[in-house]
Amino acid sequence: MTMAERDLKSEIKEKLSDDIMQGALSKFAEQYPGSRLKSYAGQDIEALREDLRCMKAEAVDEIEKLADDFEANVKARGGQVFRAATGDDVKKFLIQICKENGVKRVVKSKSMASEEIHLNECFTENDIRVKETDLGEWMIAIKGQRPSHMVMPAIHLNRYQCAEMFTQELHEEVPGEDIPYMIQKARQTLREEFLQADMGITGANFGIAENGAIGLVTNEGNARLVTTLPRIHVVLIGYEKLIPKTEDAAKILRLLPRNGTCQRMTSYMTMVDGPTKIIYKDENGKYVEGDRKQYVILLDNGRLEAAKDPVFKQVYQCVRCASCLNVCPIWTLVGGHVYGHIYSGGIGAILTGLLNGIENFHKFSDLCIGCRKCTTVCPGKIPIPDIIDELRSRYVKAHGTPSMDSSFFNMLNDRSTFHNLLLKAAFIGQAPFKTGKYIRHLPLFLAGMTKGRSLPAIASVQFRDRMDRLSRNNPSKPKKRVAYFSGCNMDFVFADTSENVVKVLQNLGMEVVYPMAQSCCGKPILGIGDREAGRKVAQKNIMAFEAVKPDVILSACPTCTETLKETYLKLFEDDAEWTRRAMDFCDKVQEFTQFVAAEYKAAGKLMPTAGGVKVTYHDSCHMKRGLGVFEEPRALINATPGLELVEMHNCDKCCGMAGSFGMKYAEVSLPMLEEKVKNIKNTGAQIAAVACPACMMQIGGGLDSQEPGVKVKHIADLLAEKL
Amino acid sequence: MEKVCRDWPKEAFGEGLVDAGYWQSFEENAKAAAAEIYRVKNFAEAEKQLANLLKEFAPKEILAVGGEENPALKGIYERIAQPGIEVFTDKFDIAEHKASADIGISTAEFCIAETGSLVVDNYSYEARVTSMLPFVNIVFVNAKYVVENVSVACKIIGQVFTKGYCGFVTGPSRTADIERVLSLGVHGPNRLLIIAVDDFERGR
Repeated sequence: MTMAERDLKSEIKEKLSDDIMQGALSKFAEQYPGSRLKSYAGQDIEALREDLRCMKAEAVDEIEKLADDFEANVKARGGQVFRAATGDDVKKFLIQICKENGVKRVVKSKSMASEEIHLNECFTENDIRVKETDLGEWMIAIKGQRPSHMVMPAIHLNRYQCAEMFTQELHEEVPGEDIPYMIQKARQTLREEFLQADMGITGANFGIAENGAIGLVTNEGNARLVTTLPRIHVVLIGYEKLIPKTEDAAKILRLLPRNGTCQRMTSYMTMVDGPTKIIYKDENGKYVEGDRKQYVILLDNGRLEAAKDPVFKQVYQCVRCASCLNVCPIWTLVGGHVYGHIYSGGIGAILTGLLNGIENFHKFSDLCIGCRKCTTVCPGKIPIPDIIDELRSRYVKAHGTPSMDSSFFNMLNDRSTFHNLLLKAAFIGQAPFKTGKYIRHLPLFLAGMTKGRSLPAIASVQFRDRMDRLSRNNPSKPKKRVAYFSGCNMDFVFADTSENVVKVLQNLGMEVVYPMAQSCCGKPILGIGDREAGRKVAQKNIMAFEAVKPDVILSACPTCTETLKETYLKLFEDDAEWTRRAMDFCDKVQEFTQFVAAEYKAAGKLMPTAGGVKVTYHDSCHMKRGLGVFEEPRALINATPGLELVEMHNCDKCCGMAGSFGMKYAEVSLPMLEEKVKNIKNTGAQIAAVACPACMMQIGGGLDSQEPGVKVKHIADLLAEKL
Repeated sequence: MEKVCRDWPKEAFGEGLVDAGYWQSFEENAKAAAAEIYRVKNFAEAEKQLANLLKEFAPKEILAVGGEENPALKGIYERIAQPGIEVFTDKFDIAEHKASADIGISTAEFCIAETGSLVVDNYSYEARVTSMLPFVNIVFVNAKYVVENVSVACKIIGQVFTKGYCGFVTGPSRTADIERVLSLGVHGPNRLLIIAVDDFERGR
């Protein structure tokens, strides 16, 4: 089915109600991070990651040379090399080899590249028997399913569902209780396939240019049998797998098993260099020794073009360990199948975009919420969310901005009109449904948004209209001039919190100014890839803040802070004048807790105090992994008299809001929120502290609906209350 | 037997990379990967250990490689053949009995402490079927040949790997494809027994 024909939302709904898969994925998501770290005991993970990144980044820069060397070395050893531009080229070539060699039976050991090009179809069309030999792949192929994970293809199934596949293939009742029995049945069945196969097809975890060898990493040992028993060995390898030297393989091997399966090493790591001998029965039934035939297919399928692109070439740093899926809060809820193509998760969105076309990428690029958790584990240090942003931006360049997103954004950009509109809608719409500070029920079509969480009410007086009154409290001899950037949430919704930001700053002797010409930071429109609109917003904000000549530009929203401080700088690469202005602007931008903690520290006020009301702190994704700020909010809580910090489980796991994602995909967002609420509740804290208004909206809404005894507060609220 | 390198210590090991001091770490990590380890002083002890293991498994057919390069092993292979226990060391015999043999006995070149892996030179077809097809794989290795980590192992392999087939073996064949439950022996052996001999050189 093509992407356009698919109904992603209903597929997601189906996966969310698959209790078996949900059970398996949540258990796995819980166990994986600890098991991974255990496998790295005694190792300097960051140094290993940097080694791998460097090696692969250098390899892609000389990919043509590596490919030439690799090809020459395979040929020098008697192998044949075929360079395939597309999947169809691979299929034509393979069928030709099969015909030349009278191949009737083929065994495969896991090759993602062959899945990528739907290789198996060409064998069945030509009456050639083909069998996957990796247990998981073999099982799911029986029912025509696709792998849901690169390393654990059958993770979505339980033992009883697996047993059904055995029963169908073996024509005998196979009990689901007995996993060892199933394993032995698979061994016997597949052993015959290995022994009788004419051709073995493998992928490769790496290909070595200096000697033409390929490396295969497996636990079952199927790759060793596929490369040993059949008389023909075909290697299907993508260009991104090429590395210069044998010793460079170590840079992959020290990370791939640990990240992939939490093992220091898989059971088998096999390197095959050129054709090897095979002993077989000749026509007289006598055993003789001869040379195996080896064919190596180098697959392009979009890879060489990606290699030339300064952003996309980073996908060459991927070693297909799938750890990015294992820590992805969305993947671990919806599983791999909804991503459509063979590669799932964030990296899957990227690979699909590059290998299967940007149209296929676009539809499920939404499923990356930019929480950056994957960037903390990726062995090749690929900035997955940034590459997704780049793909979105190229998509928008080619196809334009989706009209709903852009008209919504235009409203955000015109602050006063937007607030008036909101208020009007709120007075009409929210009045009957509002209880206190939250909207608990929304009528009809919006009901999904308030299921399991309340939405905050729109502030009756937006923050900007309070600034006149607040600025009267500015100190007469200020230490610094701080220009406050509120961002949309802190202007329209959490205006009270913005007031508290101002109070805390004024208490520190700061003069606070609020440039009225400021607009939205631009993240919503940049997030969907419209860079042109993003540039206009950035210019508007830069001009607004230049006009007030501040010492510091401060925001209490980490997403805004990240956009102002980091993204703006990248928007004007071809414009020297605006690059300079953006640089001056970005240099002054600071996040609220970071600024306040530094000032407290300088004043000797950042000292831990003893006990009090229990507060647990939730790390916002953009705060922790975007800005790298996580110590300061904790230090501020600890320094506040009457408060005691208690940590929650998975304190830095996304709460599920993630910009507009939480609204657009409410069904995925809510299970994430429920988990967060549970973790907060388990601490026994009375207050859940945040430093991000989007998390505040989501967690506040979740607590209000599910755990009303616990209140959400911004760090600025906590600090202001004690002034 | 065809090999990637005839003499790994001389041609590949290099200065100071291989050190018996890494043994303990190798042993811990190999055991963690479900390998079983027997460390012995010399080939006489190794033979006793092997005889004990064979009693447990009561094999009918044994495939054995590495005797050509090591007279001590060759002698052992000759002596473990008894009425009811056939031992195949010829490559064509090994090919003939590959699907029915109960035990495969093979050799490894050196050990990796970081991962508990054996580095195997499996250029020959017979070495591969011997170590992969039977349920039990018993491997002889020099207990003094241990390297610190995978980087050193790949550096050593890189010295001599110009053609053929080699790699790491770390514990028995395993899968966790059904409910992530660990199961051994899916395609390769379900037992990997390592007999590490201190005085290995004398056998050569």
